[in-house]
Amino acid sequence: MSFALECGKVKRTGFLPAFFGGGFLAGAVPALNMLFRSEMYTGINDSPVSILLRANWQMISMLNILLVIVGACILYNIEYADNAIQRMRALPVSECAVFFGKTAVLAMVSVLLLAIEAVSIGGCAVYWFESDAGLYGEMLKNFSFFLLLMLPSVLASLLTASLCRNMWISLGIGVVCVFAATMIPARNFVLSLFPFAMPFQILADHTEDAVRNYRIAGAAETAGIALLEVVILKIRRLFE
Amino acid sequence: MNIIETQNLTKTYGDFAAVSGLNLHVPKGSVYGFLGPNGAGKSTTMKMFLGLTKPSGGTFVIDGKQFPGDRVQILKQVGSFIEASAFYGNLTGEENLEIIRRILGLPKSSAAEALELVGLTPHRKKLARKYSLGMKQRLGLAGALIGRPPVLILDEPTNGLDPVGIHEIRALIRSLPRQFDCTVFVSSHLLSEIELMADSVGILNHGRLLFEGTLDALRFNAVSRGYPTDNLEDMFLAMIDADNRQRGGAR
Ligand SMILES: Nc1ncnc2c1ncn2[C@@H]1O[C@H](COP(=O)(O)OP(=O)(O)O)[C@@H](O)[C@H]1O
Ligand SMILES: [Mg+2]
Repeated sequence: MSFALECGKVKRTGFLPAFFGGGFLAGAVPALNMLFRSEMYTGINDSPVSILLRANWQMISMLNILLVIVGACILYNIEYADNAIQRMRALPVSECAVFFGKTAVLAMVSVLLLAIEAVSIGGCAVYWFESDAGLYGEMLKNFSFFLLLMLPSVLASLLTASLCRNMWISLGIGVVCVFAATMIPARNFVLSLFPFAMPFQILADHTEDAVRNYRIAGAAETAGIALLEVVILKIRRLFE
Repeated sequence: MNIIETQNLTKTYGDFAAVSGLNLHVPKGSVYGFLGPNGAGKSTTMKMFLGLTKPSGGTFVIDGKQFPGDRVQILKQVGSFIEASAFYGNLTGEENLEIIRRILGLPKSSAAEALELVGLTPHRKKLARKYSLGMKQRLGLAGALIGRPPVLILDEPTNGLDPVGIHEIRALIRSLPRQFDCTVFVSSHLLSEIELMADSVGILNHGRLLFEGTLDALRFNAVSRGYPTDNLEDMFLAMIDADNRQRGGAR
């Protein structure tokens, strides 16, 4: 029920158009890359999907995280802008339910974003590498990995947005986090566990053990941040 | 029988007591006027009823449900309107009520009914952000009235309305207990307004209750203390003034 309710609240905020627009922009990255310099890539001896992801995923995932941050800010700005949150607090609905409803919405549009990008990557693989051998399996494996590693940043940006009445502050914090994430050396496992750095990882760069560790870390961070929000909301109640 | 009762309800901010040792008795099925000058602690009291701020001391019971244990149960019984403007600006008046309706699990028709009650039906398709102050006030009231809750908590509901609107909303509030079989706890800083709407009054100053009882009892009290009764407003001002002086002009 919270999910449907939260979907209803984002009307006329430009939330969906932002994600569709961002998705097509991100989807254009590999296509343009191939259009102008396909000869750099077609000669490499690796699977087309891996080649394409290595060449483009940094840029695409950066766009994804920025969109997630903007989306989280929009989702909470509608609560704070005209003080609607006070209305919600005076109704028999918990703030946690609101938070998880918003999480579901943001996760859904993240799936949408990844789906558009998957179509683009898949299309490029078929068009420029003229092969779709094992393509679907590989795509599914890669993009489910991306989704899992995106969830911590979805929750982290919603957590920030839920704590800042002023949208510009949470937006600023988010942008600073993304830039911090881009400076983290990808090879350092511990540092790359920073929620906003996780989405930059690609399967082909890691051994099976490392991939498993990333999966565990992604799930653990998602659960951990969710729990943190619940605790923060409980504590905040005590001081109001 | 009292539908709202507080026991020593207190709220302090640091060493400042916004509400102190409040013992209210709101009879079921009445309009109870909660009167006090700006800053007396009316909104703070109402926010405590809704769990929007945590009491520093004391408890209260609403419709047999004890705070804080039954907070969610209380919220299901209470329609509330606390200080103007709490709405989704990007949604229309109708969509705003639809959200509340779905949270409360009410039948589809209840949103339209609430809009009609506050006279917002012609403007239901307009964005709430573009509403005038009076229309925002009416939207807030509709959000309180939706689903005909047994208890209504209304914080200065006529603020920002024009004279015609004030008259309309006062008449509506006056009629609510009979129409919907509910109790209305309504605040105001105007005794003249409370006089027109309420059966009982509680007068608050600096967080303390100066008087509680029926309007007739208030008039009687005025006579016995030698205040002019032809103008209750003067008496209200004199009471507040006397209380302030008794505090030695502190604050
Ligand atoms: N969050 C807060 N922090 C500190 N003081 C507050 C806070 N909220 C209200 N107050 C103070 O409590 C007093 C009562 O305020 P309020 O309940 O809003 O009065 P009223 O609604 O009767 O005009 C005021 O002096 C106000 O400044
Ligand atoms: Mg007030």
